[in-house]
Amino acid sequence: MEKVRVLDMGLVSPLRSQAIYHGVAYAMQPDTPNTIILVGPTDPYVCIGYHQELEKEVDVPYCQEHDLSIYRREVGGGAVYLDKGQVFTQWIFQRGQLPLDLEKRFALYIEPLVQTYQSLGINATLRPINDVHVNGKKIGGTGAAQMGDADVVVGSLMYDFNFDLMARVLKVSSEKMRDKIYQSLNQYITTMTRELGETPDYEAVNQAYLKHCAETLGVELEYGEPTAAELAITEELEARFTSDEWLYQKGGLRQTGAVKIHADVYLVETAYKAPGGLIRSTARLREGRIDDLTLSGDFTMLPAFAVGALEQSLRGVSLDEEQVRARVGEFYGSLQVQSPGVGVADWVTAVLSLKGQMSAH
Amino acid sequence: MAKANNCNVPEELMYWVREHVWVRPEEDGTITIGMTDAAQHLAGMVVNATPKKVGRRVKKGRGTGIVESGKWVGPIKSPVNGVITAVNEDVPADPSLLNSDPYGAGWFVRIQPADWETDKTGLVTGAQAVAEYEAFLKEEKIDCGNP
Repeated sequence: MEKVRVLDMGLVSPLRSQAIYHGVAYAMQPDTPNTIILVGPTDPYVCIGYHQELEKEVDVPYCQEHDLSIYRREVGGGAVYLDKGQVFTQWIFQRGQLPLDLEKRFALYIEPLVQTYQSLGINATLRPINDVHVNGKKIGGTGAAQMGDADVVVGSLMYDFNFDLMARVLKVSSEKMRDKIYQSLNQYITTMTRELGETPDYEAVNQAYLKHCAETLGVELEYGEPTAAELAITEELEARFTSDEWLYQKGGLRQTGAVKIHADVYLVETAYKAPGGLIRSTARLREGRIDDLTLSGDFTMLPAFAVGALEQSLRGVSLDEEQVRARVGEFYGSLQVQSPGVGVADWVTAVLSLKGQMSAH
Repeated sequence: MAKANNCNVPEELMYWVREHVWVRPEEDGTITIGMTDAAQHLAGMVVNATPKKVGRRVKKGRGTGIVESGKWVGPIKSPVNGVITAVNEDVPADPSLLNSDPYGAGWFVRIQPADWETDKTGLVTGAQAVAEYEAFLKEEKIDCGNP
């Protein structure tokens, strides 16, 4: 039976917890076994996606004041706060050994995670393409990359998660946005601790995960250690990951302006200058519809409760011009509202601008 | 245009099938490269693309830059040893060109090969390229006609 090497590395420095899978991947030779790494960080840190622009995404001064390191990974996606509450499950396989089709590749990678959660009594399922969900909440994300001659898929066993610090380390356009991120993380992300009411034993769950990996892949697992060559490349990458040139790299980087909570849920904020003042729209979008909306700025709307009523009336509406216009029109028709210099067309423009922020998703 | 499992494979270009890279030799001795239609189909909508800079040396099999789709990050590998002489500046500004026109407006970089005569022997073209690509895609059950 084919063998897959397991590197069960326990807790390592935050830097090593990111660098190790890059190192094993870039060191891959034709005779290197396919490898699964389990690893966690000794201390909390922030990890940003390959093409993110650090200072636009992360509150760097806050991280510096609180001794949180920040590292850029060679995997896509967004900024995340990571700590001992997650065990990273990193697959480093020879190219051609995992399905070429990404949807199938993620389905294979996620299967042992789902089985592990289910064995604990947690109702986890694959939410294609690459999320694991529990009753509509996400329990950890995944990502894929090609590094040198290796295909890499990464994710985590989500024991616990610090929702507060996750919302805190992000650079956001307003504190309203931060509040919404925090609320949405609480509402749409879950962990083993939340689902079970207590944190399960790490070792037992990690072992169950490995057993499910062996079954899913139809392989025998063999515990090993990183080779000298793998460690040498990991150390080279650590030097690169800690350089300002790598961390602050810019150029050709495209931002979306949206914060993804999970596959169906995004937070977006936009500002639109109407003749009567600035309208800031902070929204949670779920499956393309407004799930929650806050309208703020320096416009005037009377009576005082009308802004809240308008926010409420737009809930559940999809970001379609006709639907938004109809809903705002109904609102003005049903209430005696005064909003000097801000008319139906301005609200429609302000709300539809949320759609523009979602264009890359 | 010739197709392999519904993926476009223009016969006039050369291919490194395993790495999903197309190559067009230019009159000035350079080569233009990019990702194939099958590659962009597999990656999905590309949201970021960062070619390396002009003047950078590249080795055969190493990246000429990185592309990121919603679900994946990976290199476009150089089929030759050489030096990058031009990069497509439109691609970082609009990475979706890699999806919409992978063999045209979505070209990635141009390279001056150090030894083209040797490196080109690993590439295939014409009907042979279409047949090899088709065999590869069939084996992997990849079809560009499927979403």
